[in-house]
Amino acid sequence: MAVETPRTLAEMPTSAPRFVGRPVPRVEDPLLLTGRTEFIDNFTLPGMLHCAILRSPHPHARIRAVDTSEAEKLPGVVAVLTGADVKRWTQPTPTVPPGWGGHCLATDKARFVGEPVAAVAATSRYVAEDALELIVVDYEPLPAVVDAARALDPGSPLLFEEHGSNAMLQRVFTWGDVDGAFAGADRVLTDRFRWHRVGANPLETFGVVSQWDLVDGSLTCRGSFQSQFHMAIARALVLGLPSHKVRLISHPHGGSFGGKGGARGTDITALLSRKSGGRPVKWIEDRMEYLAGGASQAWDRHYEASLALKNDGTVTGFRVKLLDDLGATAEGWGAVSAAKPLAAFTGCYAIPTAQYDLTIVATNKLPGSPYRGMGPPPHNWVLEQMMDVAARELGIDPAEIRRRNYIPADQFPYTIASGNEYDSGNYEATLAAVLEMSDYSRLRAEQAEARQNGRWLGIGLVNTIEPGVFDWNAYAVVGQPGTGVPEGATVAIDLFGKLLVKVGFALEGQGQYTVISQVLADYFGVELADIRVVPQDTLSAPPHFGPGGSRLGVAITGAVLGAAELLRRKLVKVAAGLLQAPPEMVELMDGKLRLRGVPGAEMSIAQVAGAMLARSDLLPPDVDPNPEATYVWTAPGRTPADDQGRAKSYLTAANACHLVLVEVDIETGKVEILKYWIADDCGTRLNPANVEGMTQGGVAQGVGAALLEEYVYNEDGQLLTSTFMDYLLPSVYEVPMTEKRALVTPSPFTPLGAKGVGEAAMHTTPAAVMCAIQDALAPLGVRVREVPASPHRLWSLLKEARRS
Amino acid sequence: MKPPLFDYADPRTVGEAVALLQRHEGEAKVLSGGQSLVPLLNMRLARPSILVDVARIDGLDYVREHDAGLAVGAMTRQRTLELSPLVKARHPLLHAGTLLISHPQNRNQGTVGGSLAHADPAAELPALALALDAQLRAVGPNGERTIGAADFFVTYLTTALEPSEILVEARFPLLPERTGWSIMEVARRHGDFALAGAISTLTLGGRGEIAATRIVLFGVGATAVRARAAEQMTMGERPDARLFERAGQRASEEIDEPLSDVHAGADYRRDLARVLTRRALAEAAARAA
Amino acid sequence: MPTRRRIRLTVNEQPYEAEVEPRTTLVDLLRGELGLTGTHVGCEHGVCGACTVLWNGRAVRSCIMLAVQADGGTITTVEGLGRDGELHPIQQAFLEEHGLQCGFCTPGFLMSIYELLERSPDPTDEEIKDTLGGHICRCTGYQQIVAAVRSAAAKLRSPAAGGYG
Repeated sequence: MAVETPRTLAEMPTSAPRFVGRPVPRVEDPLLLTGRTEFIDNFTLPGMLHCAILRSPHPHARIRAVDTSEAEKLPGVVAVLTGADVKRWTQPTPTVPPGWGGHCLATDKARFVGEPVAAVAATSRYVAEDALELIVVDYEPLPAVVDAARALDPGSPLLFEEHGSNAMLQRVFTWGDVDGAFAGADRVLTDRFRWHRVGANPLETFGVVSQWDLVDGSLTCRGSFQSQFHMAIARALVLGLPSHKVRLISHPHGGSFGGKGGARGTDITALLSRKSGGRPVKWIEDRMEYLAGGASQAWDRHYEASLALKNDGTVTGFRVKLLDDLGATAEGWGAVSAAKPLAAFTGCYAIPTAQYDLTIVATNKLPGSPYRGMGPPPHNWVLEQMMDVAARELGIDPAEIRRRNYIPADQFPYTIASGNEYDSGNYEATLAAVLEMSDYSRLRAEQAEARQNGRWLGIGLVNTIEPGVFDWNAYAVVGQPGTGVPEGATVAIDLFGKLLVKVGFALEGQGQYTVISQVLADYFGVELADIRVVPQDTLSAPPHFGPGGSRLGVAITGAVLGAAELLRRKLVKVAAGLLQAPPEMVELMDGKLRLRGVPGAEMSIAQVAGAMLARSDLLPPDVDPNPEATYVWTAPGRTPADDQGRAKSYLTAANACHLVLVEVDIETGKVEILKYWIADDCGTRLNPANVEGMTQGGVAQGVGAALLEEYVYNEDGQLLTSTFMDYLLPSVYEVPMTEKRALVTPSPFTPLGAKGVGEAAMHTTPAAVMCAIQDALAPLGVRVREVPASPHRLWSLLKEARRS
Repeated sequence: MKPPLFDYADPRTVGEAVALLQRHEGEAKVLSGGQSLVPLLNMRLARPSILVDVARIDGLDYVREHDAGLAVGAMTRQRTLELSPLVKARHPLLHAGTLLISHPQNRNQGTVGGSLAHADPAAELPALALALDAQLRAVGPNGERTIGAADFFVTYLTTALEPSEILVEARFPLLPERTGWSIMEVARRHGDFALAGAISTLTLGGRGEIAATRIVLFGVGATAVRARAAEQMTMGERPDARLFERAGQRASEEIDEPLSDVHAGADYRRDLARVLTRRALAEAAARAA
Repeated sequence: MPTRRRIRLTVNEQPYEAEVEPRTTLVDLLRGELGLTGTHVGCEHGVCGACTVLWNGRAVRSCIMLAVQADGGTITTVEGLGRDGELHPIQQAFLEEHGLQCGFCTPGFLMSIYELLERSPDPTDEEIKDTLGGHICRCTGYQQIVAAVRSAAAKLRSPAAGGYG
């Protein structure tokens, strides 16, 4: 039963909130700053062994034999694991879509360069790597397919022969009378787009310490898990263990952005532990392993898109055809990135009809994984670039064409063609804000003048929805079952009035422990330092999911407020008894339980909690003597997806408008970002500093995606970008300092009106930068349709344009 | 990414170092700053049987005036060169070049000798050595010898040093009077290896005509390249944009086989060489005036 | 084949002795045998800067330095900042300016910034960028880190720096 919780700050039991809404310093920071946070590689156990993994050098090969005899003799080696062990001891990993996965080690064949084939547990990582060099694998190389289109050809090598094809999924989703819209359009614009592989790359790679208890048949894994609960369920299924015998403990981790993964590493170390008599086994993924074999790559996409337009710029239909190259298996949950665009398919615009022709194909490359944004970043680029093309064709200013298509501010909650509901928004206001901040008309004049002087400036004006608080139903179209994502918290008050909060997730950088502390400090009238948030493992925590899909700020606020409310009810009843008054006359306010209308008749929460713990004789019969409550929050009103994937999926729709000024050096193809303005609206800002941090971090990743980051495979399926010398993350030199302005249109559906904001600017920045570059080069007849816009690529486009 | 097993020696004199290299001929690698070597060890791409660490040899860390130039000991950290008031005052081109080398954290460890001996075609110090006609002093089993920069850089990651020789000093001549200079590069990110780079020095004669030019391109071929034909083209001419444009075109034709990799294809590198030559000449000319 | 080496170094003003294989990297020695796990490993090829420590006062990448190279030297890690559980002004500045999110890259940044401010107490924007440019942060987008550096410089220059300046 859902519990009534404060919808706005005004409804909180405090006369003057001191913390919520303020940029309070984070409670997590002192431990992080002093290097004392226990990231997984800082953790050791007695007798712990270290794992190294032998990986396939072939993109596609049958494995005929694996000879580990020499490796086993190396002093310091305790156990070696091969595909034969794994085949005996594990089930294939569950995947979405189902049936496109294998085991943690390649068994009959390897399907991508970097796929684990064998593993060693030894006394040090150094020795384990020495041992890998002694393992002899007899491979029979098979023809590989690396190109998405070729993978669909009838004669293509097959990754999973049993499926008879490499098409993991092929479906068309149609919403409204799309054909009618296109037939009746004044103008139809069609274009193609190519987005290359890019991925999370948190500074900390995945790490795990697994221990298999041979006596009681249980498994304990500590690791940098983003979602410990789902990892635990999958481990039980794969390793054939009863669910209550699997315990996962998530350690604070150095970022994730969806890209921590860890399924194979956890299973491998678990089995090595089993094989070494139950000794703990640690595996720390190194950076090269991460880039080639980890949860590191996403969004390998070929797009064709069309807009149906009226002459006044109104968009009546939007068609997208996507060929999504997911790589060798669906194990990384990368397919959900192809589904999430439905949550905001038509962006900020009231486009009534749309169509999504989706093909997900397997190739001999690393399986795709989630990455911040989960699919919309390329989709938003396509939509926003098409809007700019439409603006140019029709002679309408890019700001104006957007304004003409916005969902009006008075029509929320608004259900878009693809079925999701946007909670609230005012896109006109965000646009107006960014145009004002940037002095837009003067910028355009500056741009024109610069062109006269042979300088090629470009303006990218882009707006997007940033869906927040995901639900499983958003991914129903790719075979993900379920509706409803729980997040639970337990709030307890001790004898001294200190609060302990138990949650099911560890920190990964978004500052949720601080947000929890802010909310509860205001609710119970205590100081931030009076609150301690403690993560629990999968067997002790209330139902949970953790961070992901821009949900946790909202979800955990809902959870702690729900627990606070349940606790408040108990405290009120107890205080009423102690104050000898009816409960309706007792209220919690500013940390005190007080009798309305009787000044001085009040008790502190510590006193009430103390009474509960020490004087059960004084308690009303319907109150348990425990100053603690647990509440599990889920998003209200979620609906299962229909056959066209329509569902109320993501609960909130934050929105942002970015304006970027770039300069392109047309001789070298280098792009410089000169200025960057952001107006964003994510509803109530629980901690504005957190929001700005998420925004700026998203900008950095967005700039990386637009200009620098690209995984390159050659035609032999070899990864050419195998280190940080070639996969280029942006530094302080490449990331613009942005000017930010906040607008607040609260959500009517969430606790305190906040919207999800964790993925933030990643939805918007790639489109903004790319549209700016296109704007700069349009007069030269250049069409920029490939991401990243590397200097070589732009130089080639400019050269070609000069020729024709 | 842990290194394979190897032995380690840290000699205290040049003689000891040379003797070690001789004894382990072909199987030893010299360790100075390690900024290039240790990553290769971590990736197990380098597998020496022994590392000879030359960092504890006294007397190889200095920057001083020598004849009409600066003598720099091989173990001088790049950061020392960068922060040296002597270099900043007497050799602005060399100083400007050090600012382009990687990042300060690498320059704190990386050495001048190490960079020269490693001979990465995109590195700034080898290109500067070539542009300035530096003299490289080496010591081996047969004693000491001096090798001119033009002969020192042989091909990709290969110098004229014998396996048992170590570099002990580099001498960088100063620029003559009325000489402008420029060093510039195009890289994906600040501090990355150059996709292409150009160094230019330009000396003006009494009547404002070009008396001498140096053009060196780096990052484009197996070693840094002197664009001699382009240099010739400018001799005696007045410095102007059209001349520099033609010189850029000529210089780009002097690269035999431009490198091609994931970041830049051969054609692109060749064109960058053209553009950077023109820009570097213009900048050098402006400084000369 | 390879003989282990006995090395001596001073880390955070404490003397240490260790016997290491020559191939042991400095970061692995610090994190392993010496138990100083505040310095982190991000790439093991000298690009990300997470492993940065001070060696004889200079910021270096300890993942591409062998422990034997540090023999006889003085090392400062993040554990050596701050005093008696109090945050160093640079750490305090990061806290106030929200200069960190996941915190994994932070110790490396702190050490480079420490060296910068020792050498240049009132650094120019170019100097700040030059120092920070050797580090990758995947979370913050750098804007608040730059703010933290400026704030830290001001703190260390002020008379209230109390022994840190």
